[in-house]
Amino acid sequence: MQSGLLSTHLRAARPRVLAALNRVFGDIDLAEDAFQEASLRALKSWQRDSLPKDPVAWLIVAGRNTGIDLIRKKSRETLTAPENLEPAFDGAHPEEGLTQSLDQSVYRDDILRLLFTCCHPVLRKDQQIALSLKIVAGLSVDEIARAFLVQPKTMEQRITRAKKRLQAAKLPYEDPDAKARADRFSAVANAIYLIFNEGYSASQGPQLIRETLCEEAIRLARLLVRLFPEAPELRGLLALCLIHHSRRHARLSPNGEAVTLEDQDRSTWDRKEIAEGNILLEAALRRATPGPFQIEAAIAATQASALRFEETDWAELDRLYRALQHVRPSPVVALNRAVVVAKLKGPKEALNLLVQLEGPLERYASYHTVKAAFLAELGRTSQAQQAYEVALSHAGTEVERQHLQKKIDELKNSLED
Amino acid sequence: MLFSVLIYASEDFIDALTPDEHQELLKKHGTFHEQTKTNKNFAAAAKLMSTGTAVTISRESDEFLVTDGPFAETKEQFMGFYLLDCPSLEEAIDAVKILPLDHGRIEVRPIEYFEGADFKNAERLVIDAS
Repeated sequence: MQSGLLSTHLRAARPRVLAALNRVFGDIDLAEDAFQEASLRALKSWQRDSLPKDPVAWLIVAGRNTGIDLIRKKSRETLTAPENLEPAFDGAHPEEGLTQSLDQSVYRDDILRLLFTCCHPVLRKDQQIALSLKIVAGLSVDEIARAFLVQPKTMEQRITRAKKRLQAAKLPYEDPDAKARADRFSAVANAIYLIFNEGYSASQGPQLIRETLCEEAIRLARLLVRLFPEAPELRGLLALCLIHHSRRHARLSPNGEAVTLEDQDRSTWDRKEIAEGNILLEAALRRATPGPFQIEAAIAATQASALRFEETDWAELDRLYRALQHVRPSPVVALNRAVVVAKLKGPKEALNLLVQLEGPLERYASYHTVKAAFLAELGRTSQAQQAYEVALSHAGTEVERQHLQKKIDELKNSLED
Repeated sequence: MLFSVLIYASEDFIDALTPDEHQELLKKHGTFHEQTKTNKNFAAAAKLMSTGTAVTISRESDEFLVTDGPFAETKEQFMGFYLLDCPSLEEAIDAVKILPLDHGRIEVRPIEYFEGADFKNAERLVIDAS
């Protein structure tokens, strides 16, 4: 057994094993420690023997036993381990008996509970992202800190605080009814999309795209779709992530500048990801229960289906943005729709739509960038330049700033000509 | 005889591969392509999209039922297949040995009936999902 692949096996098993341990112990922190211990044991014993037939079951049993040991150690003086946590046989390959009992529906509930715990509404968004990446995806604190450009210590604290907050909230462990289940899907999908977005359009720092985050988000989405193929919004989420991700090579020029959708070299889009996204979306839409992720995926798919920017189906995009505005109203969606309206009816009409967005989006760089583009198109060059300057002052990444500075310089030159 | 080479692996595992490991896996398939094409065993190859894209069709009395997801929920998923034209099972098994086998399993099963492109003489047709 190659040791490299061993760690990949552990990484692959992690979400399911942690989810099961979280069910057994009702304590995410203990589950994580137990998984850690079980992984160390696996590295030793799997190398010596060969891989167990069911690595997931092996790890669950080993983790369960270590977790019980940990509980015993912690509470030696006061109480003994609860009766229902008697250790199972802990031989080299103790998974056989357990495999039968772990049917798919138990897995499903476990994973959903684990993910929902990590992105529980009592947590702040940045805590949700950090906890999901740490616990479910298994990224190290250093890796997460690097992705978010903070010191490892800061990230460590963020994760510790998040866990404390979860403990303080004393989350009940009941099985969710249909409504609660739907709420969980939506919370989990939102958190995964947050991770993807943070990677796709990093809000701060020198890099525009942080691929690790995008890839981990896609991995989590794939896991969920595999477990819940009947949930159309999860398929929509995966489709959306894949179609956006297909453009990753086109979004940066060779010298690291941001390239807008209009100027991207569409031949570098990953057609396989687009194809998979399209079919996922089609399968999701068969359920006829559209939600925000399916609509956003449809928007991305519509954009991706145009071989040239000029061939974009703006009327379809307008319909989709209106649908999105209906199910999940937000000023950012309205801003995106304004861009489409500019294509359909011209910049003047689109500029009118921006007026009511000024308030909520005042500190949002893209708002000013869009406004500047409309103004430039209308020939109001000095106003456009001003708007770009405002955008520049709100831009979070270096790449974004460079892009805006270039626009400002272009306008300056055109004024001088 | 025509053999199907059916490849099963855990999608959890495939998703967890590092880019280098993934490259290594593809390289083995590349070598398999080369070898089987050189010695004229190669008939066809198909790589399936993720099981997340699958729907399953069944019929209950007079109603067609389309359910989301693959037919069976298993720990390992059906990833794709090759068709090999080999004189014996022995040779088909030998050919398959260079495919990635650190995880998952490969089933070799003879084809009873085949109809399709003339894989021996016709020009090669490659269809990439896009």
